Amino acid sequence: MKKRAVQVRLAASILLVLAACLPAGCRRRSDSSASERMVIRVPMFSKIQTLDCGNLTDVYSIGVASQIYESLYEYHYLKRPVELVPLLAEDMPDISEDHLTYTIRIRKGIFYHDDPCFPDGKGREVKAADFVFALKRIANVKYMSQRWTDWNGRIVGLDGFREYTKSFRRESDVDYSVEVEGLRALDDYTLRLKLTKPWPQLIWYLASAVTAPVPREAVDYYGKDIMYHPVGTGPFRLKVWERGFYIELVRNENWHGGTYPTEGEPSDWENGYLEDAGKPLPFADAIVYRIIEEFQPAWLMFLRGDLDIMQIFKDNFAQAVNPDTLTATPAMAERDIRLLVFDDPSVFWIGFNMQDPVLGPNKPLRMAVSRAVDRQAAIRLFFNGVHKVAHGYLPPGLEEYDPNIVHTDYAKYDPAEARALLQEAQRIHGGSIPPLTIAIPGTSNLDRQIGQFLQKYLADVGLQLRVDYMDWPTYLDGLNKGKLQIFFSGASPSIPDSLDMLMGFCSWNWGYGGNHFFYSNPEFDALYRQAEPMFPGPERTRLCRQMERIMLEDCPAVFLNHRVAIAIIHGWYKNAKPHEFSYNTAKYRRIDLEKRNRYKELLNELKKKSK
Amino acid sequence: MPGLTRESNLNNSSLQPGTEEHIPPGRSLWADGIRRLRKQRLAVVCFWIIVFYLALAAFEWIAEARKWESPAFIRWNEIVGPSYQKPMVPYEWTTADGKTEIRREWMGTDFMGRSTFRRTLYGAKTSITVALCASLISLAIGVPLGAAAGYFRGWLDELIIWLISTLSTIPYLLLLMAFAVVLRDKTVFGLELRGITSVYLAMGLTSWVGICRLIRGEFIKRKESEYVLAARATGCSNARIIFSHLLPNVFHIIIIDLSLRFVHFIHAEVILSFLGLGETDKPSWGAMIDAARAELARDVWWEMTAATIAIFLLSLALNLFGDALRDCLDPKLRVD
Repeated sequence: MKKRAVQVRLAASILLVLAACLPAGCRRRSDSSASERMVIRVPMFSKIQTLDCGNLTDVYSIGVASQIYESLYEYHYLKRPVELVPLLAEDMPDISEDHLTYTIRIRKGIFYHDDPCFPDGKGREVKAADFVFALKRIANVKYMSQRWTDWNGRIVGLDGFREYTKSFRRESDVDYSVEVEGLRALDDYTLRLKLTKPWPQLIWYLASAVTAPVPREAVDYYGKDIMYHPVGTGPFRLKVWERGFYIELVRNENWHGGTYPTEGEPSDWENGYLEDAGKPLPFADAIVYRIIEEFQPAWLMFLRGDLDIMQIFKDNFAQAVNPDTLTATPAMAERDIRLLVFDDPSVFWIGFNMQDPVLGPNKPLRMAVSRAVDRQAAIRLFFNGVHKVAHGYLPPGLEEYDPNIVHTDYAKYDPAEARALLQEAQRIHGGSIPPLTIAIPGTSNLDRQIGQFLQKYLADVGLQLRVDYMDWPTYLDGLNKGKLQIFFSGASPSIPDSLDMLMGFCSWNWGYGGNHFFYSNPEFDALYRQAEPMFPGPERTRLCRQMERIMLEDCPAVFLNHRVAIAIIHGWYKNAKPHEFSYNTAKYRRIDLEKRNRYKELLNELKKKSK
Repeated sequence: MPGLTRESNLNNSSLQPGTEEHIPPGRSLWADGIRRLRKQRLAVVCFWIIVFYLALAAFEWIAEARKWESPAFIRWNEIVGPSYQKPMVPYEWTTADGKTEIRREWMGTDFMGRSTFRRTLYGAKTSITVALCASLISLAIGVPLGAAAGYFRGWLDELIIWLISTLSTIPYLLLLMAFAVVLRDKTVFGLELRGITSVYLAMGLTSWVGICRLIRGEFIKRKESEYVLAARATGCSNARIIFSHLLPNVFHIIIIDLSLRFVHFIHAEVILSFLGLGETDKPSWGAMIDAARAELARDVWWEMTAATIAIFLLSLALNLFGDALRDCLDPKLRVD
């Protein structure tokens, strides 16, 4: 996907929190007696699509795959603002003065997981050629990677390689030994990337599981089934994947090793995040993910101690959270349960299809919808009043976020003005506005309530709204093909860069590229092209903010809210520092087994006490 | 109904030995049925409950069509209080014109602060519209097919029986859900199948088998009756025999079946709405129960209770009334 922003459903926004706070799991029969094994158990509220790193797009799959695969760089676990450190790379890249050539030295002695695809089943050492192969594979048309748009037009010669692959019938027929000028392994441990133009965001992409090295042997051995047989270098390897139900990762005994960070923010000592400083990683023996699509059973399992971490939903908010202080209620505190509250850079919106004959040419109509929606009421009803009103598009937490945007009236709720705008819209349309149709991904109770909420507020100003509740694949298909008139959606940046978000409004990214609004503004496009090769700085910030304002003036979407994530964890779940962008955090988590094993006794004591 | 009334009256003749012959005035099957029905007090109560629901549905329907704003109970989408306000607990509420007043909602409010009572009343319209339309569709398919199969027999009968047997082998709920999914959001001959339209179409198209089989059996039984033979002897066409002679004689069966089927359709609508395949834009009892399922965890019991009581009352009334109707109209089951 050209767009870096990963589309997320509101109802499933949870995973981001869980991914930020770590991978998931809960327990199975075999785990109940595993009190001596350190098993991390977290729920997952949606199925994962694939574990093939070259095709990872959804946060659920990335959350699991990031524990299995490793990339050249990773985010420092504790430091904020976020910072990259080498992982499979020996050190940070050597970048030429013109910012067009990146030379990266690979660490020696990194081995893949043991797997039947290798001779004798023993994982071989990672070579620079594996990174070249992984990127060429993404470029291979027949592989059909959804991540190609990230690389489209970036690497010298890679687009030519893509053209070359079009002449083949199958992915496996392609000869990967064909040279690509901008993508070369200079030797077994040196990788060189040559760019067509400066690309400051490249370094962030090299910290994603999508760019992890892939052994050619695994691709040849498993073919299309490689999505079920990930072969990486990470601290965990896949043991069981029962689709739609259960995933278990176990510790990779051959992992190259790593230690818990010794530096962090000043508050990290106070919060206990540095208690394990310098200790060897990973702590956990296994991670168990269980897919539980209903929130309530997951909540009850958490309270019973069968899950280590859980997301707060509106229906369990009152039970778990003191709304004034955003701390755990006394009932939770006496169980040694606590909250993790953090700003999650994300934004949710009601998007308009700008090519729709009713909405596209009618800005007053789009603005009428914007004025008709009471964002505060939505936040109060659906997010317990915790989320923040989105006055603009770029979420707080990104460098280019404009704090003055809160003084604008883009998010104003004004039914009277909405009615006036609607009259103007009717004049433009040449009659009364026909019923509008919004697509909402999901059919849960929360989705339906959101649908009813929007219907109610639009009906109040005289607009009839129909709601189509769709499953996720149908919704995505409609979104990418421009079949949806209005859609309820949201995004979180996958890298800490505003251009990643703004890319979703570039005219060359329509549909699959991430511009689901089918929005086009030459001025916006020109500014984007201008900002694209710039490194972070005041000028780039100015351009990003200008782009945001241009887009907000055109009103291709009604931006609703920025998420404030609340995760709830048991006292035994250690080192759970939230990270907004990193997914490979499982290795840092530790379980205080003694505390966990005592939890049942604690529950009995509390029961007796209450009697 | 040739012969039946006289025969019936002769059996109950009031001839007394030594007195002048006295033949009481005859009663039609319907008049006799109503007379018997009125003797059953419970059935009468149920009848008035059903009438109340039907009147309510009709009123909601007219009010919506004419965009009436009063009385207040038809404004089901109005926010009347805070989110999840408990029933009968007073609360302070600022109205749209800025006045603050103390209110109480006797069935509480939903997540948006809308009256549960008003939504429950509106749910009657949804359920009854679905049940009525689905009944009519199923009758429109089932009765002619059953009549044709029973009257003409031969290859037509075999074909219809094959169709009936095939449909009967598919579990009803699965068939209903499949139809509901397929019909959803489609446009057929310019008619947009949204919300309850697709629901009652799905129900109607899947539930005609029972009545079809029943009518076929009755037609087979009656097509050799004297009155049919007489009609045929006088040169009546097949259509006239079917529509003027046979159908009126099995009409009571259709009415009884309809009354019992109605309950079934109301339940089916609730199930479909509960599964997310029914009405999504407007209140329906099934959708209310579905929404309340998640809310029970936070002690919001009133939405579930209100919808359940509404369904319970209507179902009970329809069941009891249907049974009473069958007892009164079916000559084989008559007990004085």
